Amino acid sequence: MTIKFIRSFYLKVAILLAFALAAGLWYSAPGRAAEKAPAKILDPTDPNSILYLDTSGKLAGTGDPNKPASLFYRAGQGWHPKALAESTLPKDKYGLINWVESVKTNMIRPRASIDPKEEEMPPMELDIIIEAKSDYVNDVKYPHWIHTYWLKCEICHDTKGGAMFIPQKGANNMSMLGIGEGKWCGRCHGKVSFPLADCLRCHTVPKGAKK
Amino acid sequence: MRGKASLLGALLLAAITAVPALTAGAGAPAVLKLDDKIESMKRAGVGPVNFPHARHEKLYKCADCHPKIFKEKVNTSDISMKKNMEGKACGTAKCHDSIKAFPLFQCVKCHTNVKAAR
Ligand code: HEC
Ligand code: HEC
Ligand code: HEC
Ligand code: HEC
Ligand code: HEC
Repeated sequence: MTIKFIRSFYLKVAILLAFALAAGLWYSAPGRAAEKAPAKILDPTDPNSILYLDTSGKLAGTGDPNKPASLFYRAGQGWHPKALAESTLPKDKYGLINWVESVKTNMIRPRASIDPKEEEMPPMELDIIIEAKSDYVNDVKYPHWIHTYWLKCEICHDTKGGAMFIPQKGANNMSMLGIGEGKWCGRCHGKVSFPLADCLRCHTVPKGAKK
Repeated sequence: MRGKASLLGALLLAAITAVPALTAGAGAPAVLKLDDKIESMKRAGVGPVNFPHARHEKLYKCADCHPKIFKEKVNTSDISMKKNMEGKACGTAKCHDSIKAFPLFQCVKCHTNVKAAR
């Protein structure tokens, strides 16, 4: 009885496998290949590849947010397609593109809008010194100029669900702990702009310096 | 019987905790509490740093750190976040400002008693 059962069980499995194999062969038959989506490029040196390398030549990311992040990503240094790395744009200390230098030196001049009728708003010159709650660490100079070069006021001061920053000096009760966890400046820095690890790009005003 | 078991347990526990301390370098405890800048830390909402000396010894030679980067006496090297972010102390090149170790903005990885961030 048991032997008979095992026999028929294996038989069933064998038949199932045979079917699966046949289906697989049919699916991957040359005639069908044309119907399939274009194959993904996996060569990391190809700029169209879904795999890319960082400046040190290590795998930077797979393009899949569910996969574990690369070492560079975990170091706060972000994703980094090789194609961009090899451009002649200025780089920061991590080898990432320095977009501030790129516009200040006129190496790139992006349009204000894709709508040709929209008038360009000149960037606003207003630096705000934010005191760091430490006896040693440099204070932070927040420059409106570079932010309003790229962004509209509403992005920070009139965000849906409450302003990201109340437009009043000292009114926001920020902290570096919160920033490190992705609040305040950390909503962008480390994600769409230079990494938080680059402390001294924000902490520029020595304690006790004339403000 | 119970008493004996717990005594044995306690001895075992003591032995386990003593081993890393004994195998550490010339006199350095397994973990050092760094807190000479405690006043400044309180302002930022963080507590003392528990520096796992033993774990670092496994990865590096004494001379990688002493005396170039740190003095061989706890709380005498004048470490601050200012120095860390200037590429000194913990933030020395190839340390906590590189892909070899976690970055400096992950405050909770080094500091204890970290307040809930606002
Ligand atoms: C990237 C985010 C961002 C953008 C974009 C931005 N701001 Fe601000 N703004 C801030 C921050 C941060 C502060 C400082 C708040 C603080 O000190 O708590 C501030 C402060 C201000 C203040 C208060 C200044 C003071 O001395 O009290 C005004 C006014 C202001 N912004 C106007 C503007 C205008 C106008 C624009 C558009 C041209 C703009 N902001 C765009 C982030 C931004
Ligand atoms: C995007 C800008 C930015 C970057 C990059 C940045 N910080 Fe800050 N940091 C700030 C601001 C803004 C404050 C002031 C927060 C406040 O109001 O207390 C601050 C404050 C601090 C403080 C004082 C504690 C406090 O909450 O005020 C420390 C310590 C600190 N930062 C450490 C660092 C370290 C270490 C790095 C690099 C890993 C770093 N910061 C990178 C913006 C930045
Ligand atoms: C809405 C997104 C956003 C927010 C929020 C934001 N930034 Fe930025 N920041 C940018 C972008 C974009 C740039 C341009 C540089 C880049 O892309 O890396 C920039 C550039 C800067 C620069 C210029 C660095 C240089 O090399 O000259 C400083 C300093 C800076 N940010 C500080 C801050 C501080 C401090 C805060 C929080 C008070 C903050 N930023 C919040 C997006 C943001
Ligand atoms: C990753 C860097 C690093 C390495 C490697 C390292 N140390 Fe240290 N050591 C430190 C730091 C940081 C301190 C604390 C200095 C301070 O607080 O000023 C310290 C403190 C000490 C102290 C003083 C302990 C006390 O209680 O006062 C001794 C002794 C010491 N180290 C010996 C060694 C020896 C021996 C080795 C090699 C087996 C070694 N260290 C390897 C970083 C290191
Ligand atoms: C790699 C470990 C490490 C990380 C990550 C780290 N710290 Fe520190 N921090 C230290 C050490 C070590 C000291 C010196 C402690 C002492 O000797 O008193 C220190 C000191 C401080 C001090 C007092 C000295 C000063 O410069 O004001 C503050 C405030 C501080 N840290 C805040 C922070 C904040 C905020 C963060 C996250 C942005 C952070 N730390 C991340 C290791 C670290």
